[in-house]
Amino acid sequence: MTHETATSLPVHTAHRHEAHAHVGGAKPPTHRNLGLTPSWHIGALAATAAAALALGVWSMTQVDPLLIGGAGLIGVLPPAYFVALGLSLAGFVASLSLRRLVPALLTWQLLVAVVILAGADPIIHGLPRLEASFRHLGIADTIGQSGQLYPGLDAYFDWPGFFTLLGMLSGATGAKDLFGIATWAPVGINFLLLAPLLALARRLTANPRQAWAAVWIFYLASWIGQDYLSPQAHSFVLLLTLVACLLSVFGGWAWPTERTRFSRWLARNVSKLDSSAPGYGAVEPHRADTAVLVVVCGLFLLAMTASHQLSPFAVIPILAALLLTGRLRLRFLPVLAVVLPVGWLLFAASTFLVGHFGQLIGSLGDIGANSVGALSTRVSGSDAHVLVVYTRLAEVALVWILAVAGAIVGYRRKVPWLAAAAAALAPLVLVPLQPYGGELLLRLYLFSLPFAVCLAVLPLMSDSTAGLSLRRALGLLLMGAVLATATVVSRYGNDGMESFNNDEIALVNRLYSTAPTGAVLIEAVRNTPWRYQHYADYDYRALVAAEPIPNAAPLSCDAANQIAHKAGAYLIVTESQKEAAELRGSTPTGDLQRFTATCATSPGWTKVYENAGGVIFHIEGVTNGN
Amino acid sequence: MATERSYVSYATAAVALAAIPLSFVGPEGLRLAVIGLLMLAGPGTALVLLLRFDSPRSAQATGALPLIIAIAIAFSLTMSTLVAMAMIYARLWSPPAGVCALSIMTLAFLGLELKRPKQALVRAK
Repeated sequence: MTHETATSLPVHTAHRHEAHAHVGGAKPPTHRNLGLTPSWHIGALAATAAAALALGVWSMTQVDPLLIGGAGLIGVLPPAYFVALGLSLAGFVASLSLRRLVPALLTWQLLVAVVILAGADPIIHGLPRLEASFRHLGIADTIGQSGQLYPGLDAYFDWPGFFTLLGMLSGATGAKDLFGIATWAPVGINFLLLAPLLALARRLTANPRQAWAAVWIFYLASWIGQDYLSPQAHSFVLLLTLVACLLSVFGGWAWPTERTRFSRWLARNVSKLDSSAPGYGAVEPHRADTAVLVVVCGLFLLAMTASHQLSPFAVIPILAALLLTGRLRLRFLPVLAVVLPVGWLLFAASTFLVGHFGQLIGSLGDIGANSVGALSTRVSGSDAHVLVVYTRLAEVALVWILAVAGAIVGYRRKVPWLAAAAAALAPLVLVPLQPYGGELLLRLYLFSLPFAVCLAVLPLMSDSTAGLSLRRALGLLLMGAVLATATVVSRYGNDGMESFNNDEIALVNRLYSTAPTGAVLIEAVRNTPWRYQHYADYDYRALVAAEPIPNAAPLSCDAANQIAHKAGAYLIVTESQKEAAELRGSTPTGDLQRFTATCATSPGWTKVYENAGGVIFHIEGVTNGN
Repeated sequence: MATERSYVSYATAAVALAAIPLSFVGPEGLRLAVIGLLMLAGPGTALVLLLRFDSPRSAQATGALPLIIAIAIAFSLTMSTLVAMAMIYARLWSPPAGVCALSIMTLAFLGLELKRPKQALVRAK
C-alpha cells in the first residue's frame, strides 16, 4: 500500500537501524521508529468503515417512508443510523491523525461517508429523488427515440448536451428506462466528484492532510441536493476538473508582472497578501501534451456550455479570479469562457432568448430580488419546514464563517489562501446577473463550496505535515459531526415532497394508458413524478407551482374546468403534491383534500382511477360533452 | 509500473472493442455496463495514458493521480456529450454509431500511445 506524505520518506532510516542492530545491539527497527503505521491500525480503520457502511445501510432499510413528516428524514431515522455516521466520521479523523496518510484508506472512508449521507434516497425509497429527475429521463427518452430537439417545448432542448448523452446511452444499450441510474445518481455523482475535488484541494491547500480534510468537509456540508441525474451535476464534474487541471498544469501569471504599472501593482499586492505557492499536485507535462490539455480544457467548456444554462456563467468569474491572483496563465481561456455561452445563447438557444428576453433583462442588476428577496420567500411554509430552512441558513453561515476565519488564519500563517478565497467569492458576481431567484443562491453555495472548504480547514488544522494533535482531532470531529447532522436535516428536510412511491408511479402509468395522445394532463400542484415518457406527446399543465405563496388562495374546480373547457382534460392529484402544498405553503392547509372531495362531485368530473398514491379524474370539455 | 500501465491499456481496449458489437445486440444489463463504462471512462483513460501522466504508482506518490482520474472521467463525459450532440445537430442520430465513434477514438488514442517514444514522461512535482 502506498503511503502519502508531504515530506519525503526517510528511505535510509531502515538501513541505519539495521547497521546499529548489527554493530551495537541497539533496538531493532519498529513501526514507531520507522514512522510507519502498523498494518493492524489500517485494517482496524478499514473494518470500522465497513461496519459503519453495513450499519448505515441496514438502519436506512428500517425506515418506514410513510412516517416521514414535515421535518423530513431526521424524524424517522433510527439511532443506529447516527451510530454509523459517528463511526464513519471518527474513523476518518483517526485516519487523518495517522503519522502517514494512507490514500486508499481515506478514499474508502470517504466513499462510505458518501453512501451514508447521500444514499438515503435510493435505499429508503428506491426511486429517483425530485420530480425533475423524472422530467430529465423523459427528455432523454424523447431525444433518444426521435433523434430530434423540441426547442419550442421548453428550455431544456436549448441546452441539450446532457440529455443527448443520456439518449445515446439509452439508445445504444436498449435500456427502456434509466430509472436505476437516476435512483442511484446522488451516490454515483458524489463518487465521481471525489477525484476532481481532491485534485483541486491539493492545489489550494498547504499539504495533503488539509486537502483530504477539505474534501471530507465538502461532502459533510453539501446539502444542496443538486447531485441528482441532472445537467448541473454533469457540468459540476466538468467545472471542478477544469479548474483542477488549470491550477495543476497552467498555474502562474498570464503576463510578465513587470510589463505595466497595473501588472506590477497587482503582482506586488497578491504577493503581499499570499506569497505562498503550493507546489504539491502540480504537474509539468511536455510541450505537446500541454497543448493537448489546452484543447481538452476548451472542450470541457464547450460541453458545459451545451449542457447547462448557469454553470458556464459561473466558470467565468472563477477563471477571472484565478487570472487576477496569478494562478492561471492562459489569458485567453476566460475570454473563451465568455464567448462560448454568449454565442450559444445567441445562436443555438435563440428560441429561448427570444421568448425570455424580457425576463433576462428585467432581473439584471436587481440584487435585492435575486438575494434577500429570494431568500425571504424561502423562509415560509409549515413550522417544521421553516425549521429546516433555518438549519440550512445556519449551515451555510457556519461554512462561510469558517472560510473567513480560514482566510485570516491563512494570511497570518503565510499559507495558501488567496486563490481559494477569490474563487469562493467569484460566483457571487452572478447575483445581479441571473434570473434564477432563490434557486440561484443554492447554486452559488454549491459553486463556492469546493473553494470555501479549502479555507474552512485552516482554522481546524495545523500546517504541520505530521498527524493531528488530539485537541485538533477532537475539534475536527466535533465540526464534522455538527455539519453532518445539519446536512441530514437540511438535505432531507423536503423528503416528503421530493421522494415518491411506487403507488404514485402506478398512478402515472395508469394516466398514460388511459389518456389519448395529445390530451391535456393537469397536475394540481407542480410536483408529480411524470413525463419520464411521452414528454412531447401530451399537453402538460399545472394549477399551482410548488412554491411558497403568501396568503395562498384555495384551489377552485373552475381553474381546472377552464383548462379542460375546449377538449377535456385529465387531472392528477398525488400524495406528493399534497406534501408539497403543505410544506411550501402553496395552498391553504388541507386545501388539496377539500379540492379533491369538492370537485369529485362537480358536473363533468369522473373518477378514472384511484390508489394509495392519488387519484385521476377525467374532466369533460365542450367536445366531450357534445 | 509499466505493467500497471499495460493492464489499464488492455482493459480500456477490451471495453472499447466489446462496446462495438454490444451497441447493436446483447443482453441489456451487459450492454449498459460495458457501454456505460466506455462513455464514463473510455476515451479519457486512453487520453491520459497517451499524455503520459507518469505511472500510476509514482503519480499517486506525487499527488497527480486524482487529477489523472478526474481528467479521464471528465474527458470521456465531454466526448460522449459532444459526439451525441454532433449527431443530433447533423440530423444523423444513431446511438450505436455514436458508441462506435467513441470506441474508435479510444482505440486510436491507445494506438498513438503505443507508437509514442517511451521516454516522454511528464514531470510531476
